[in-house]
Amino acid sequence: MARMAREKWYDIARDLDWELSYVDYDAVFPEWMSGQGKIPREAWASWDEPYKVTYPEYVRTQREKETGAYSVKAVLQKSKVFDQLDEGWKSVAKQHFGAVALIEDLAVYAELRMARFGLSPAWRNMAIFGTLDETRHTQISLYFPHELVGKDPQYDWAQKAYHTNEWGIIAARATFDGMMMNPNVVDVAIQLPFTFETGFTNVQFVALSADALESGDINFANMISSIQTDEARHSQQGGPTLEILVEHDPRRAQWIIDKTFWVSARLFSILTGPGMDYYTPLEMRKQSYKEFMHEWIADQFIDQISDYGLKKPWYWDEFMAGLDTWHHSLHLGVWYWRPTVWWKPQAGVSPEERDWLHEKYPEWEKQFGRIWDVIIDNVNHDRMELTLPETLPWLCNLCHLPIGTAASPSNDKYPVRSYPLKHNGYTYHFCSRPCRQIWWEDRDTLHDPTVIERLLGGDIQPPTVEGILGWMGLTPEVMGDDAYGYRWAKPYAPPPAA
Amino acid sequence: MNEMQETGMAAPEVAEPRGEGQPVPINAMFEGDFVTQLVLVLDTDTVDAAAQKVAAQVVGRRVAPRDAGLAVRHAGRAVPGDLTVAEAGIGPLDVVFVGWAE
Repeated sequence: MARMAREKWYDIARDLDWELSYVDYDAVFPEWMSGQGKIPREAWASWDEPYKVTYPEYVRTQREKETGAYSVKAVLQKSKVFDQLDEGWKSVAKQHFGAVALIEDLAVYAELRMARFGLSPAWRNMAIFGTLDETRHTQISLYFPHELVGKDPQYDWAQKAYHTNEWGIIAARATFDGMMMNPNVVDVAIQLPFTFETGFTNVQFVALSADALESGDINFANMISSIQTDEARHSQQGGPTLEILVEHDPRRAQWIIDKTFWVSARLFSILTGPGMDYYTPLEMRKQSYKEFMHEWIADQFIDQISDYGLKKPWYWDEFMAGLDTWHHSLHLGVWYWRPTVWWKPQAGVSPEERDWLHEKYPEWEKQFGRIWDVIIDNVNHDRMELTLPETLPWLCNLCHLPIGTAASPSNDKYPVRSYPLKHNGYTYHFCSRPCRQIWWEDRDTLHDPTVIERLLGGDIQPPTVEGILGWMGLTPEVMGDDAYGYRWAKPYAPPPAA
Repeated sequence: MNEMQETGMAAPEVAEPRGEGQPVPINAMFEGDFVTQLVLVLDTDTVDAAAQKVAAQVVGRRVAPRDAGLAVRHAGRAVPGDLTVAEAGIGPLDVVFVGWAE
């Protein structure tokens, strides 16, 4: 039987709409979910996605991708590849799985919200495909590490992480709930597919895929590059939505993009920065985190928003300066507080690695080298208790990351300090002025208390280091330790006395 | 399993009138360190003693020890070491800087 050509029926199928006559439009599309704001209803008729796909095409393409990804996995499972992977590299994958697998699931709900409350039928249609994509991403991101749990219990955190109060997860949860679950769907479209997916996920998935291949982790590289091909399609919901928003409310568009970019950058500096500049074996590093961010994020992002007539975010200079410091601070913090994470941080400060760091970041020795020297000296004199913490860093009330990590030692312009704010008799603390300003603008939104506030409020019992670790869900076989067993400190050891 | 020492941190709502002072959690920064930290001092501690508590979390851990005294700054002012935390007006959640005395 001859089938009707796609172009004859596609526009009817993808853009079917009707005037509601049995219910009120506002009941079906309430403002607080649909986010109409200043955009007139009829403006949504122009919503148009560049990449069009039909359901049969979608199923066919996805089936090929799934066959490819899972068959590579099946072959590699029979090999010794996993056993030969660098321990530092494995931490990149473990960190990714834990931090990302269930966020893919959260994105299923973000897509479903857009599919239900999006104000254009073509947008709602695209969001259905986005829902299917994110379901796939959740499944694959859980299935791959599941096979490895028997070899290494830290892979269990692919499933477990978001069911815990681990501090990095609290930070991610606060950011992603704010991006996907709290806002109306117009704001979701600007935050998630436009700013976060089009911008940042490229860093995580493309750069990481390249580093994974170099490190010999073909399975992981294959998985994430397969995921990213879906991303390119469903992230296109952002552009058409932004186009309509910019025309009617550019101020709102600018604000949503600005705040999302900042919180995404904060999170990426802990999620991806340490992986690229410390955990990936030195000889496998293709680019530094800063180089990659410059090329893939900074330049591209500015070009992209300029196309929509928008401006650089107000904090741009601070963000650019932060590419030299944030992730170094966060890496140092994660390594020092290593029992509080579910992977094994690779210190990444052997003499050769420090030479590389110095080449890529000329201020690194002055700002961070001195701190590592004290740590190294303690390791070499077997004063291990001094390389582990007895208290917690103070955490930012917006990004939930340690206060000080949006700056660096010896930095006059962005010194290590809190930026407090007294509001309604309570003192909030922030890592930076932009975090403080974003919090202030969104102060009527629900905020997650920081781990510090939960500790001081008596939620964590007993309020000791062991109590904190238990509260975070960290069990002895999962708590992080140095990936290389501290052997990188040996070259610094003083020669034995003659 | 990594061994981590118990901090003995007390939750601030343990408010028995022991005559030993009330806990004051401060956002503490030590010169040369890379993060601010939660440090619990007592309102009856001298500022010098409170500075030592902050230093204990940093000096010899991430900042090299120095043969020098400690200086404390709070609310934009240097704070004399012999005042108590309460007398100095240092309250819960306040920002405190501790550095080397020149």
